[in-house]
Amino acid sequence: MNNFGVIEIASTTTKTTPGWAYVPDTGPTLPAVAQPSNRKRAARNQTVVSLSDLSAREETRLRKELDALDRDNHRDVNIPIPPRPGGGTRAQNKHTPNVRKILQSQKTFANHLDDYIAMLALAESNPVAAAAMNAALAKPSTPTTATPKSASPAPSASAAGTSKRSAAAAKRAAAKEKQEQERKKAKQTPKPDPEPEAEPPQQPAPAAQQDDDVEMTDAAAAAVQPAATSSNKEQEPKPQTYPRESQILPPYAKPPPRPHPGDNDPLLVSVIPPFPSDDELRALMTSPPLNYLEARATWGEEESRYPVRVFCAVCGYWGRVKCMKCGTRVCALDCLETHREECMTRYGL
Amino acid sequence: MAGSRKSRAAGPPPPSVTLVLDNGADTIKAGVVTGDTADDRPRIIPNCLARDRHKKTYVGSELEKCRDFGEMAFRRPVEKGFIVNWEAQREIWDREFFDDKAPQRCDPSETRLILTEQPNALPALQTHCDQMVFEEFGFASYYRGIGPAFNAYQDMQAIFHTPRTPDTSIDTPAEVILLIDSGYSHTTVTPIVQGRPLHQAIRRVDVGGKLMTNYLTRLLSVRHFDMRNETYIANEMKEAVCYVSMDFSGDLDRTWKGTRGERRADYLTGGGIAKDYVLPDSHTTFHGVVRDYDPAGASSRARRAAVSTEDVLTLRNERFVVPELLFNPSDIGLRQPGLADLVMQSLSVLPIGLWPGLLANILIVGGSAKLDNFIPRLQMELLKRVPDECVVRVARPEDPVISTWLGAANFARHEHVNRLAVTKQDYEEHGAGWVARKFSAGLGVDS
Repeated sequence: MNNFGVIEIASTTTKTTPGWAYVPDTGPTLPAVAQPSNRKRAARNQTVVSLSDLSAREETRLRKELDALDRDNHRDVNIPIPPRPGGGTRAQNKHTPNVRKILQSQKTFANHLDDYIAMLALAESNPVAAAAMNAALAKPSTPTTATPKSASPAPSASAAGTSKRSAAAAKRAAAKEKQEQERKKAKQTPKPDPEPEAEPPQQPAPAAQQDDDVEMTDAAAAAVQPAATSSNKEQEPKPQTYPRESQILPPYAKPPPRPHPGDNDPLLVSVIPPFPSDDELRALMTSPPLNYLEARATWGEEESRYPVRVFCAVCGYWGRVKCMKCGTRVCALDCLETHREECMTRYGL
Repeated sequence: MAGSRKSRAAGPPPPSVTLVLDNGADTIKAGVVTGDTADDRPRIIPNCLARDRHKKTYVGSELEKCRDFGEMAFRRPVEKGFIVNWEAQREIWDREFFDDKAPQRCDPSETRLILTEQPNALPALQTHCDQMVFEEFGFASYYRGIGPAFNAYQDMQAIFHTPRTPDTSIDTPAEVILLIDSGYSHTTVTPIVQGRPLHQAIRRVDVGGKLMTNYLTRLLSVRHFDMRNETYIANEMKEAVCYVSMDFSGDLDRTWKGTRGERRADYLTGGGIAKDYVLPDSHTTFHGVVRDYDPAGASSRARRAAVSTEDVLTLRNERFVVPELLFNPSDIGLRQPGLADLVMQSLSVLPIGLWPGLLANILIVGGSAKLDNFIPRLQMELLKRVPDECVVRVARPEDPVISTWLGAANFARHEHVNRLAVTKQDYEEHGAGWVARKFSAGLGVDS
């Protein structure tokens, strides 16, 4: 097959143009899987459909339901502000242009969020234009010649603009942070603190340039032969030295708890995770805020591994039976019959 | 830092009166701090314009005068925890604080405003807020900080009932806490060290009181009768009967009626879970009443209903399925982790050395924290997820709704406020962008 002379060039760039696009066919699509050649074992051979690849219809239904749950009122209401009994006694001085724009803005949170997303997208795809827009919008004294209505996005845009730089800085910082984290993770449990840990007294203090390695062995030794090291550490109470010499979180100053005969039991020795250094804490405490979307928690590995629980649409018990017509889950025959009536009115016999 | 570099002597002294506002989506918690004395409790003002079925509109605290909450419609200036509609918000603030006859009158030009906001706000909305505060209301001094962080300025060890000698000084802000704020619009997890929120680890799940009320409304509308226009009544019902289940599948089994023809014993007796809820009839009663389940059955109730015409709902698994959304949002198809996983996700970006401190000092605030069994359930779920050595200690303050306000009131008397607050002169000189940067920079590290 020469594909009629069309040669596809492998590239990683994708263009977001409205309309349609060639999509690489990377795997079997769901309908193909749903119709295996052997009809007999069709039900058994179906691949497990997880929530992430629901059909588009299901997806839409879910989204609608969630939107409905997110509303303040069931119906759209428009409640105008009633006149004040005293006619409003606070001096109604003239509004500044900014205030007038804000008061007249009828935007909802969703509108603002969309604006913000668009701003982020612009900054990513076309930093030059975004910077130019920034510069134009950052001037606070821009005369507002436009009508308030058309100008209403302006304050938000300028706001996003001014803070976009900080957002970019935040992103950079976050990236750095991540690297830092990764680096730390790589080094793992034995925290390479600048100063050597509470060393066993008889062990000579290692040279400064080697402290990384030496501490590794030290920690490993502590893990493997807890009895040996714990006998050494017996004299020094751990809590006192725990957040060592930290300026930010002062160490525990009270007398340590009474020693217990079981303290040296190798089975009872607990691992105290290395305390973050002041520098790490400082970086954490001064890191810039995430944006609204980044802070939204999403499913991690853990959650997507478990199947989603399903419930009876009628009574709320476990959904153990599926309606053969519409796929709604019900618990048992009793609820299935109730559901049938509704199903019948909706989809016919 | 920035505060010390600026010479305060040049400007006027900071105003002695501080208005502390915790401007939530459902209610405003408002109180005044004068010098070293603060109100004991904030006034709780409904943050909405409400309209009843007779087309009468109530603004803010006027809602107290309303008796019949049937078919109540609401307009809320705060969406998702952020002030979006300033037209409505200004009206409510004017009536509560700035009018001559306002119940908590104060003069903005001689007052400092401390306003809470939710973490991770959109910059556009933050700028709107700053502009309104200075250009419309004209406050003399102002600080806008994220709500959860203010909780660190409370006496944390008293909330956890830590034993201590009486002479120990109460140091605020608390050294390390992990704050869970479960409010009207969403639930956030914020680790806080020395009063500074660790921004990289703040996480949010979009389950809050509103979603739970709406879910209850939906369940009732499917199973009993249409309550979709009765949000207020459904919310009252949620607050009265809902609880967090410690054994979800067990409770679910106990409320199951059984298959066809079968009626399980637990179902008939109520299984200790079923409750009757008497709906208000809007003529003689205006608030619902919870009753123990009456196992004598529907027939006797039908007979009584014929004479007394009261509407009774029997609530079974609705009682615990609704708060379950906090721990399993995927039950309604919301692809987000539950609260315990949310805490773990937040911790996962922090060094492990901080985990023990954070896990031993978990504080839950916000209206949804009032749900029964919330704390033991969270503690149970967290214990399954954290390393064995970690102590997990979860607590909630006496009144979780006003906790943020109390913290903010303490903050208003703390020396930190003078380093963070911005005066009107600063705003006029440097502009909104500078103010936003100063607020987002926060305290810095030096204590």
